[in-house]
Parts: sequence; C-alpha cells; structure tokens
Amino acid sequence: MGRTPAVALASGFAELDAQLPGGGWPAGVLTELLLPHAGVGELRLLAPVLAGLQNRQRSLMWFDPPAAPCAWALAALGINVAQLVVVHSRQHVKPAGPQRPKAFLPPPPEGGEHTSGGRAFAREPLPAADILWALEHALKSGHLGAVLAWLPARLPADALRRLQLAAQAHDGPAFLLRGVQARSQPSAAPLRLLLASAGPDALRVAVLKRRGPPLAQPLTLALPPVLSAPARMRALAARVRPLPVSPVPPVPPVPPVWPAPRTATPA
Amino acid sequence: MLWLALHLPLLSLEAFCATLSAADRQRPVVLLDGHRVSAVNAAAAQCGIRPGLKRATALALAAELLPGQADAARDAAALQAVAHVALAFTPSVTLHDPQTVLLEVQPSLRYFGGLAALHQRLLDALAPLGHPVPHRVQLSAAPTALAAAWLAHWRPRGRGCLVLGAHATQPAALQRLLGELPVDLLAGAVLAPAQMQTQVRTQALQAMGLHTLADLRRLPRDGLARRFGQSLLDDIDRACGQQADPREWLTLPESFESRLELYARADSSEQVLLGAAVLLARLVAWAQARQARVAAFTLCMQHERSHRPGHEAAALATEPSTEPSTEPRTELRIELAEPALDAAHLQLLLRERLAHCTLAAPTLELRLHCSHLVQAGAPNGELFPTRASESAGLARLLERLRARLGDDHVQRLVAVADHRPERASMTVPAQGGGSRAASVSASVSASASAPASAPASAPASTFSSTALPLHRPAWLLPEPLPLAERGALPWLQGRPLQLVSGPERIEAGWWDGAPTARDYFIAQAEDGSLVWLWRGRLPTLPGGAEWFLQGRFG
Repeated sequence: MGRTPAVALASGFAELDAQLPGGGWPAGVLTELLLPHAGVGELRLLAPVLAGLQNRQRSLMWFDPPAAPCAWALAALGINVAQLVVVHSRQHVKPAGPQRPKAFLPPPPEGGEHTSGGRAFAREPLPAADILWALEHALKSGHLGAVLAWLPARLPADALRRLQLAAQAHDGPAFLLRGVQARSQPSAAPLRLLLASAGPDALRVAVLKRRGPPLAQPLTLALPPVLSAPARMRALAARVRPLPVSPVPPVPPVPPVWPAPRTATPA
Repeated sequence: MLWLALHLPLLSLEAFCATLSAADRQRPVVLLDGHRVSAVNAAAAQCGIRPGLKRATALALAAELLPGQADAARDAAALQAVAHVALAFTPSVTLHDPQTVLLEVQPSLRYFGGLAALHQRLLDALAPLGHPVPHRVQLSAAPTALAAAWLAHWRPRGRGCLVLGAHATQPAALQRLLGELPVDLLAGAVLAPAQMQTQVRTQALQAMGLHTLADLRRLPRDGLARRFGQSLLDDIDRACGQQADPREWLTLPESFESRLELYARADSSEQVLLGAAVLLARLVAWAQARQARVAAFTLCMQHERSHRPGHEAAALATEPSTEPSTEPRTELRIELAEPALDAAHLQLLLRERLAHCTLAAPTLELRLHCSHLVQAGAPNGELFPTRASESAGLARLLERLRARLGDDHVQRLVAVADHRPERASMTVPAQGGGSRAASVSASVSASASAPASAPASAPASTFSSTALPLHRPAWLLPEPLPLAERGALPWLQGRPLQLVSGPERIEAGWWDGAPTARDYFIAQAEDGSLVWLWRGRLPTLPGGAEWFLQGRFG
C-alpha cells in the first residue's frame, strides 16, 4: 500500500484500521476530518486513540472547539481532562443568547448564504491567524500527544502546507476538523476522511484521500452507544418510518475523489 | 588569594552602542564629553579621530559621524551588569574604578575546575552583555588586588593574556612582571588626580629617567614620598603584597531595576526588543548572581510626549501643571508559569506580548523591573526526553500561547460534581505543564466558586473511565437554544426531532439560588445524529418556547 508512515496508532475500530495506511491514525502528519456539523460522533471516533495517548502521559491540546466540551462526557469517553488544554483564538466569540453558535449547527443550504443578506454571520470572518500560529507552534514543540483543531473551511492557501511541515516535529496524530465545504479544496493532509452520521450511534466514514488506492465504499462504524438497547430500537424504527415532512435523502455514497488507477494498456 | 581583574576600556562606548541598530554600529561612533571626544570606535579611529579632539574637528574628519553623549550613569549600569555576571562565580566582587571589576576567585577554583576553565566560563558569561571578548575585555590574574588591576590596564605587546602564568601564583614572578610596568600607566591610573595632572606627572617621571616600576622602586622611599606623596608608595606596597589591601564587597540589590535610554526613537517593536535584550541580559545576570530564577518582570516603556497642537492647547487650557503627570507610558507585566533563567525565552515572551500591543507613541526609554524571584535549584538537563522534560517543554509552550493569546484563552477543563449541565464543567486558565498543576488549580477554583455547596460541588479529579455511562453529550451549548414546537415535536433547522430516550429529570440547585427543574431527552435528528433537549418541568408562559437544545453527542 505505497509508502506507509513510520508510526500509526490504532484507532480502536478494526474496520477503520484495516483501511488506514499503516493500520491506524498516522503520527507526524495531518489528518483531516470533514464534518457536516459538530456532534456526529467525531469525539467517540477519536476517543480511543486520545485515551490511549493519555495513558502514556501525553497531553492533548484542542484548538477552537465548536462548543463547550463537557468534562463529564469526556471522562466517560476515557479522556482525562487534567491533561487537556483548550485554546481559543482571540477572534473566537463565545456564543451567547439566542444567536446561532458558530459551527454548532449545520450550515445553511448552498446558495442561501448570499441570498439572506440580513444575517451578520453569513460572511465568515477571515480564518483566525492566531489559531494557525498557535497550532503551528504546538505542533513544532513536539511535547503534545495529540492535537485537535477545528479550523474554518476557508483558509489561506499555504496554511495547510505550513501545518503539514510543522507536524513533522510532532510525534502524535494531528486532527483538523473542518466543514464539508472544505472538501473541494486542495489539502496538504495525506489522509482526509468525510464523516457523516449513519443513524443512532453509527458513523459513516468515507476516505476521500489516503496513501494507496482509493476506497470506493464508505465504512459504517458502530460507535460506543449512547442509547440503551430499547431506545436504539426506537430510534431505528423512527428512521425507517417515513416522517410527515419530506425527508432529506441520506448522505449519498461518496464517489472516490482520486481517479481509478490507470492501467498500462497500450493505446 | 587569587584576584582576577576585568578591565573594559571601551565600556562606555559599548554601553552606548548596545541600543544602536546593526547598520548604525558600522558607522563611525564617538562619545562626547563636553565638547571633546572621549571614546571612538574602530571605524572612527580609521577616519583619524582620536580621543581628545574637539567635536567640530571630529565632524570635519568624518561626515557621517554618529556622536553620542558620554553618560556616567549609563556606564555605571553597564559595569554593574558586568559585576553581576562576576558574582555568579564568586561572592567576593568589588568595583575598582569605573571600568574595572575585581574578583577574588581562590575559593572558587576547585569548583570551576581551575583558573583556565574559570577564565573561559567568565568570558562566555560576559558575551551576552554586548562586550565582545577577547579584544575589548582585558583580564589578568594576580595574588594581590591592585596588581591584578594594574596588569589588566596594561596590555603588553607580545604577551597576550595575563591570566595564566607564573605571576598568578608566585610572588617573585609577580615582582618581575610588575617591574616591567610602564610608569605612565601608574601616573594615569594610580596617583591621586588631585595631586598633579597626569601629563605633568608623566613628564616629571620621564624627566627623572624613570620608565618602569622597577626604576621607581630603586629610588629612595622618603624622597619619592616627598615628591609624589605617600599614596604612591602605599599603592606599590599593596600591589607587591607588602601592605594590607582590604576591600568592600559588592552586595546585590533585593530587586532589579535598570533603565536604558534609546539613542533613536523606537517606532517598531523590533527596535524596542533590541533595547530590551540588553536589559534582559542584565536581568539574567542579576538573577544568576542571586542563584534564583525569574518568575515575573515588568517592562516599562516611556513614550514621546505627543505634540499635536490640539492636544497641547487643550492641556494648556485646562491645567498646565498636570502636564508632567500625563507622560505617556506603557507597562508590560510578564509572568512566567515556570520560572526561567533563559534570556532567549524571556525575550520570546516579550516579543509575543509586544506583537499585539499597540504603543501610543514612539518609545524613548525602557525600564525593566523585577522583584519576583524563585529561589530553587535549576532543573536538571536531560539527555533523552523524559516525562519531566516534556512537561517543562509543555509549560513553555503554554506560556508562549498565553503571552500571545491572553490568559483566558488557554484553558483547562475541570469537572464539578453538579447535576446541572451548565455547571458540571468549568474552565480555569491553564498554568503548568503537567496534571499536577491542573489538579491543584482545580481544587482551588472549585472551592472558590462554590463555597456554599461544598459537599455537592467537590472537584472530581479522579475518573473511572469505564464505569460512567455515555449519557451526557460531549458538546454543550453555553446557553440553551429555544426550539420551535410543531405537532408536539420539537423542530431543529426546519426538521422534526424524534425523541428516543428520556425523560431524565434534573432538579437541583434550590440551595444556591439557581434552581432548575427540567426533563431531559435524547432526540435523533434527521441525519441520525443525537442531540440533547430539555423541557421545563413546569409549564411555561403561553407563547414562550417549550423545548430547548442543550447539547450534541460528539
């Protein structure tokens, strides 16, 4: 499977490990996770590797999380909050009152952003230079076990390349969590995954980019359950039963972004 | 006894040049005392400028001359810094004259591994102060204080450094070496200036056919005392070790205070940093001499007074006497999480703080103040990265982030034993590197925030990761988001939410003035992700929202 990275950390999900180059989350490079909105199960996906790093006395640093993390929920996921540092950029405004918190809800549908001019937040501010600076220094320091950064979809062109260079000094995984709008943009991260919810306590993971051949079919992972078994049955039943309003189609299967490997047939 | 003398003949010039930019240092620089040149740098000497020339002559010789004013206070501060560096090697340090520092190093020799090793370490320690060795610092060693000082003033050709050699230990060899000392050096440096002018004295000595100290010592003592005073004989006796030479040792001030006047107005933070680097090097020398590490320091920038006409007129109209008190100044206080003794690290922190600090006006003068030291042993160096070195590195990283982003933007989470989700976790500024600091701050802040309900909100720093069920969402909204209700279902983003679990009633807080009585539900959004909702136990007012979104299961 091509050149595999030197170190990879088991993700805790066997189906995912089988598809990731090196058999786990790569260390020392960026890993990009694209989410439709916060709260699809991304922390439950990453919790095993984060908890494993903390067991080895490594610290975590989170940059600009989309909402306030709940200490008890993190503890239930096995993350020791005493070894977690949360860094906010100075431009980061804390959501207050009835306004929509940033990145917490799914973005308005395509095109609606510009038609509804009345909303002040429609135009996203320029990406936080602060957080890129802090992230770069955190990666360069090499003293952290893992880094999670919630970055905006719009970034300066060279930002990811700089971060990728800085990540070479970092000996753990570095996760960048961004909106799905970033999918069409080029990225220096050697591993890009598209996450979407696949029902209660399940996560659909599509590999957009990896070292090696593209993966045609998205994976469906069973996350650590939030719901009890009866509640889960109820949730599944509600998904099967058509709802009174027109249901949104489920997330379509993601076509491979990379072209199929070219066969060496003579023309 | 073994004395080491540090003589810096160009001290005042270097103290002046420390605040100049690199381009300016290449220009001819002279220092003016009154209207006469008192010190010249190499470029000025190449133009033919010598100490003693008049200002106008010097300007005629070099058009691009950079004239500075000699300042005794500035020289004294620079010499003080040199003495502080010396105090890191021995407690017995004394100032000899405005350009010479004397150290008694006999008790330190064994610790530092001999005179040669001590000499090298001293030179290395002096380098950051802006006194380039070995050309501009003249060192010598001798068994007596005065002999060491004289030898440091004297730079004999072809002899090199006068630190190592037989004269440093053997009195007979010292006598031989001192015998070669030229008398004009004695005339300038030794004899009390009140008695005779230097030139007159040198001429008198030379007219008598005296060229070296040996010639002088061959003369009868009483005649010499009559002509030049008893002090000359006393000095020669002290230098040769035949008379006692008690000295008063330098003591360190309790707090550090140093000021630096910038030659040019500093318009950018880079220029301010250039000057601050000099002050930081002095601060580190002082802290090292006190065998402590810096925990906090303050940089005060004195700005140019603004001369806008409107401002001036307004100030005059209101109260002219308040004008001096409105001198614009900026104070930057930098506190370190981990006390440090590394000038480069301190400068890095200062750079980050200056980077997002808007200065009111160009800076004219810098002051550095430090009274917060931590007396502790230096941390051990590590060959391979260990947990201790990693936590120290993490503390430095946190410090740097806090210096740039502010203390309240770099946080740790603390779990509080409270059922109300908005109070179950809180954030405290991240201080140290390891979990030890976090748990300390957790207990402090938890007891500070909820003193009334001590048993209920004790900090929960011990987790049993497997026992806890995953029934709390990882992402919490700081404020619940009101949801629309249609057909007995809450709606989010124009889609109905399907309640799949609940209700879980949380009724708490009647004791601390923020009572809540809510029924929490887990609901499924359209795409299958799970959200956490609540509905008030008591019916709300008609028209008010009934459902609220509290969090999402990440």
